[in-house]
Amino acid sequence: MRPDQIIEATLFASQTPLTVSELARADESLDAGTVRDALRTLRERYEAAENAFQVYQLGDGYQLLTRPEFAPYLERFDSVPRPPTLSRAALETLAIIAYRQPIGRIEIEDIRGVASTSVLRTLQDWELIDIVARGDGLGRPLLYGTTRQFLDHFGFRSLQELPHPDDLPIALRQVDDPEGRAAAGGTTNERHGTGAGVTEPDGWRNGAGPASETAG
Amino acid sequence: MIRRRSARDTATGASASAGEGHEREDVYHLGSVPGVVPARGGRLSAVPSRLPSQRRTEPFVVELDRFQGPLDLLLHLIRAQDIDIFDIPISQITSQFQVVIESGIDRLELDRAGEFLELAATLVRIKAQLLLPRREEEDWGEDPRAELVRRLLEYEFFQEVSHVLGAAEAERRRHHGKGYVEPRARPEPVREELSTTLEDLLEVAFALPEPIPEPTHVAPVRVVTVEEKVSVIRRHLGRAGRFLFSRLFGSWNDRQHVVAALLACLELAKQQVLRLEQVTRFGSIWIFPQESPLVGPQANEGAEERELAAVESEG
Repeated sequence: MRPDQIIEATLFASQTPLTVSELARADESLDAGTVRDALRTLRERYEAAENAFQVYQLGDGYQLLTRPEFAPYLERFDSVPRPPTLSRAALETLAIIAYRQPIGRIEIEDIRGVASTSVLRTLQDWELIDIVARGDGLGRPLLYGTTRQFLDHFGFRSLQELPHPDDLPIALRQVDDPEGRAAAGGTTNERHGTGAGVTEPDGWRNGAGPASETAG
Repeated sequence: MIRRRSARDTATGASASAGEGHEREDVYHLGSVPGVVPARGGRLSAVPSRLPSQRRTEPFVVELDRFQGPLDLLLHLIRAQDIDIFDIPISQITSQFQVVIESGIDRLELDRAGEFLELAATLVRIKAQLLLPRREEEDWGEDPRAELVRRLLEYEFFQEVSHVLGAAEAERRRHHGKGYVEPRARPEPVREELSTTLEDLLEVAFALPEPIPEPTHVAPVRVVTVEEKVSVIRRHLGRAGRFLFSRLFGSWNDRQHVVAALLACLELAKQQVLRLEQVTRFGSIWIFPQESPLVGPQANEGAEERELAAVESEG
């Protein structure tokens, strides 16, 4: 049995992404290196065979997913399950949490200007965020952070794939003002460094293989 | 570099429909604003249509109104009129903002209305500060608008990120895994009034059939008594005269029979009804009747002796 066949069988049978170390459990002969090699081999095999599915990285896990061009066919079937589409409020709240985590409800509401209790609860129910710590402030507020499911939901390999402030078309900033730039970008810069340079080109969508998982 | 471009592309793609004039005007709902958009009857719509992804029929959180909140509305006013955010005409924006919320605030929940009113108050305060006469070229300290600008920029940044997230989500949705497992929402405990009386409950309880006992199969253990063996031995003695000890339990092959037979033999030997003989060690044990005046059915005595004699002569 070749390692890539073992990995193939394991990925095929799994409904959730599996990490390298989880995959390595399939056989004593496997370690992180051989699993990565096997994943790469699989990718190349599927690519060459023009398979309708491919190995994709979601968070730090790998999963067999169909290629996007087949989505229209699959969407005709009710039995093909679909993840939820998030509302604007949910996306906005998630964006704030993703960049500022760990962050409490009060701070989120300060930024959004609206009450966010129910959005937070829904996001928590969908396991996109979780309580990751408690703040030092009054009442030891709950602090939220994003989860593995968050990365999975958006197809990110890591938080590094979130857009860097400089990459966003902030219309208001077209008026050249260094002060304003600092205001919007400053805090996020601290957390993510120069995110744009660190991340691999185009992320998982181009089928970046296990070789480039350094980002995760 | 590639990623830079793609991020910008997706972001502009997502915001193009939302950011440009007509789509926004289209969904403008809180009322008419002089010089901004035509009135749309001030209707609150439950179906958001600002982003393509929100037109789907699977609303995640139902939005009761078009704008996420006061910052969203303010940002819209500024964008729609191409206003330089670093030089906001506070007076103009404030009156527009007020007109919008006055026309729609009745339909908002109290909490949400409060959010809009709070920002309206902030705008009025800034306007007032700006109107106050200041001494020539004396510092304002900070521009009264600075804090508002900072908040707007921060909010706009996250709004743009949310567009990117929306695009990423749409792309991710085109990839199907095997049997996506939906995370379950936590079930809210439902508290229901019990409309049952004690009589109802008892009636139902008594109507319940008796539970059928689980069928159990216990093989009955037949107790072999020494007395039984005694009578067997007597019968054998009466019929055959002498016989092998093993005949007393041979067909059962059961310890209980062996024990009972042995005890019976010993008992009868003690009573001198029979005699036990074993020629070699571990050899067969023979049982002989013991001629004794104390025992033995009188009627059979003669017959017994004859039988015994016959067997002996055969052997």
